Amino acid sequence: MSVLAEKLVTETAAKAHSGADDHQSIHDWGRQRLMQHGFPDLKTEEWKYTPLRVLEKREFQDQPGTATTLPSWPVEGVVLHFDHGILSIDPATLPEGVKLTPTPSDALNKKDYDQIYGQREGAFAWLNLAQFQQAWHLEITGEQTVIIATTTSGAFEAQVHPRMVIDIASNASLNLIEYQRDLGQGLINGTCEINVAEGAKVEHLICRQNTESVWIQRTDVDVAKDADYRVVAFDQGGRLTRHDLKVHVKGSGANGEIDGLVLLNGRQHVDWHTEIAHCVGQTNSREAFRFLADGSSVGVLNGRIHIHADSDDSHSDLNTANLLLSDDARINIKPELEIYSEEVTASHGATIGQLDDRSLFYMQSRGLSEAESLALLKYGFAAEPMMQIQTPEIRDWVLGQLKEVL
Amino acid sequence: MSQTVEQVQGVIQKRYAAGFTTDIESDMMRPGLDEEIVAMISAKKNEPEWMLEWRLKAYRHWLTMPTPNWAHLKIPAIDFQALHYYASPKQKNRPKSLDEVDPKLLETFDRLGVPLHERARLAGVAVDAVFDSVSVGTTFQKELKEAGVIFCSMSEALQEHPELVREYIGSVVPHTDNYFAALNSAVFSDGSFVYLPKDTICPMELSTYFRINARDTGQFERTLIIAEPGSKVSYLEGCTAPMRDENQLHAAVVELVALEKAQIKYSTVQNWYPGDENGKGGIYNFVTKRGDCRGDDSRISWTQVETGSAITWKYPSCIMRGERSAGEFYSVALTHNHQQADTGTKMIHLGKDSTSKIISKGISAGRSNNSYRGLVRVAKKATNVRNYTQCDSLLIGKTCGAHTFPYIEAANASAKVEHEATTSRIGEDQLFYCRSRGLDEEEAVALIVDGFCKEVFKELPMEFAVEAKALLEISLEGSVG
Repeated sequence: MSVLAEKLVTETAAKAHSGADDHQSIHDWGRQRLMQHGFPDLKTEEWKYTPLRVLEKREFQDQPGTATTLPSWPVEGVVLHFDHGILSIDPATLPEGVKLTPTPSDALNKKDYDQIYGQREGAFAWLNLAQFQQAWHLEITGEQTVIIATTTSGAFEAQVHPRMVIDIASNASLNLIEYQRDLGQGLINGTCEINVAEGAKVEHLICRQNTESVWIQRTDVDVAKDADYRVVAFDQGGRLTRHDLKVHVKGSGANGEIDGLVLLNGRQHVDWHTEIAHCVGQTNSREAFRFLADGSSVGVLNGRIHIHADSDDSHSDLNTANLLLSDDARINIKPELEIYSEEVTASHGATIGQLDDRSLFYMQSRGLSEAESLALLKYGFAAEPMMQIQTPEIRDWVLGQLKEVL
Repeated sequence: MSQTVEQVQGVIQKRYAAGFTTDIESDMMRPGLDEEIVAMISAKKNEPEWMLEWRLKAYRHWLTMPTPNWAHLKIPAIDFQALHYYASPKQKNRPKSLDEVDPKLLETFDRLGVPLHERARLAGVAVDAVFDSVSVGTTFQKELKEAGVIFCSMSEALQEHPELVREYIGSVVPHTDNYFAALNSAVFSDGSFVYLPKDTICPMELSTYFRINARDTGQFERTLIIAEPGSKVSYLEGCTAPMRDENQLHAAVVELVALEKAQIKYSTVQNWYPGDENGKGGIYNFVTKRGDCRGDDSRISWTQVETGSAITWKYPSCIMRGERSAGEFYSVALTHNHQQADTGTKMIHLGKDSTSKIISKGISAGRSNNSYRGLVRVAKKATNVRNYTQCDSLLIGKTCGAHTFPYIEAANASAKVEHEATTSRIGEDQLFYCRSRGLDEEEAVALIVDGFCKEVFKELPMEFAVEAKALLEISLEGSVG
């Protein structure tokens, strides 16, 4: 058994607390596959730029952290606060149109996880399946705003494995904010499935700011006919962050869009693996991702566009522009195209460069200090993906945070 | 449109023109691969002891390596024990000049359009012709010698210039590099050797022509080009094989060393037998090509036109070690029927102010899969590096695939790296326009494809550019639709 397996695969919290495990068979399934495939190393293609040494060195302790507070939100909505992995409100008190229930075992058992998670590359999804304490099912009807906040305090040194399925009903509309702030030194290994039903619309914001924690997240999104899914990620990194975001455009007329901004500093390591799969024709997608890497940080982007056979009239574009701001920072990008259909257009563009000296000089000649000029140039570069946020209040809220950071 | 398609498919069904077999007696070693075979190859070539040791080291290392499976290819299991690792046309003694070479062999190369004999003078290109495992002859040796250029087969180089071979062989592609490079290092039988002394500009194009003829054999050749400071050479490589139902293996290694201010231009037109329309037969082409820009201001340029092989696994690369050194890669890869190609390049920037340029054009037709896989790496100490990459794919038909896997790794803040990729089909509007100007569908497709590949063709020496264009047209026949 590898070091990681020994450390991470333990008795589930549910069993440890109550002596009974409602999800015994599914936990066994996850554990068995994890033991079979093992954890990835640098030879695993999907993990070649992301070593797991930090995790191997870490000791996890199940001590309760101190309660965390939340910021004020730019919009009104239902707040689901997971404080140290534990839901802090009673699901029964939620308003109409937002229903949160534990997922029954038989519903979980129905999925073909071998096909979804694969082998070694999906080790953390298997780990989640083996270890999750509670699998939540969130159902949305009508027009809703939901904020899912996952926070920990500085004392947090445990491992938690949040698991959630979000179903958005036909023609419903969801404004979803995922707020993630982890100040501890533990591991958060989350899995989230989002099913956008026919004609539904989802605007998704991922706002993440971690310090020393290891955060591994997997998001699988299915977009049905005529549905629209747009996600904007504002990621301020962490000691080690890995996010696998897979958007499957599954019905004609559907649209999937990903925008992302990653700000890196110190010795942070952030790895984003995105995939947009066009499973049928007459679908559109777009992706734009930007990294600003300072300090001795490492940024990784693997952006894949996959157009399946018989998906004619699919259109996709991926664009990534990146700034290396220090001599010790590194950026590794891999924009992939995998195309099996003829009547499609697919393209990607990728650049790595630095701030333009001439622009900097121009700004200074107009009376700005060097620091101000730098901040302004960085802001101009970084703000662009954030402009894709459709709700003005949320956009201003994020841009305000961005200004503060830069 | 479908009517025109049928017309095109019906009228032209040209066969693989180089698919004939030469009926010549072969001297073959027993099939199988073990230390004895490695020693037998070495003994046959009368190699020095250190060479045998090097081969055995490579063989032992190869045994420890797993078969690579990372490429976007479906490679059937290869039975390495069923292959013959050495086959040569039977000759009593090694011919001293081309006049002594078996006329059947000369005829073979003549049919392939390779100027070995009297036409050689007219063509003005020095040729080294490799038939199965051995070099059958090298033209223009005298003239090249006068200019100070050494151009001979690898076996000859091991006899005449062992010190040069020993210094450079394996210095760019070590035997531990990858599975097929290790295999090649153990069993390579021949290949070309080029040495350019200081400040020598090679007076003519150098060329090697590889031909696999014997059944159940693999061809493992090794090419080494060394360009001393200030020298310059252009080298061309061509390859064909007969049409056979069984798959054959070709695992070559090419090493280029460019010292200060030296320039090497390496062009390939690869036309190994691609297999029939049902995917039966064809060559498995697993090639490791790498150039080392060791000196400051050196330049290595790879140009390749890949139309053949059932499976292509090939990444001609450049290591820019010297300051202000430059690497270039121009490629057209065309796959049709059941062909699979996973090809691209690696540009490793280690030197300051080094530059690289990648232009890759992939064309997929039939049921084929064509992947571009490239790496641009900027090392931490390499300041002011500049890279530009463009890879475009063209899809012809509904059952083929076109893929792009570019890796970009930047560890220096002054690097400027740009990458662009597009995938599209031949537009109806483009076809309509061409037809309205009086071209038929086939001509229109040929014209559009030619335009698509123009940036690469213009990098080829003229004779090769004409050949490449014709090859592309033939390979595309029957693919419109």
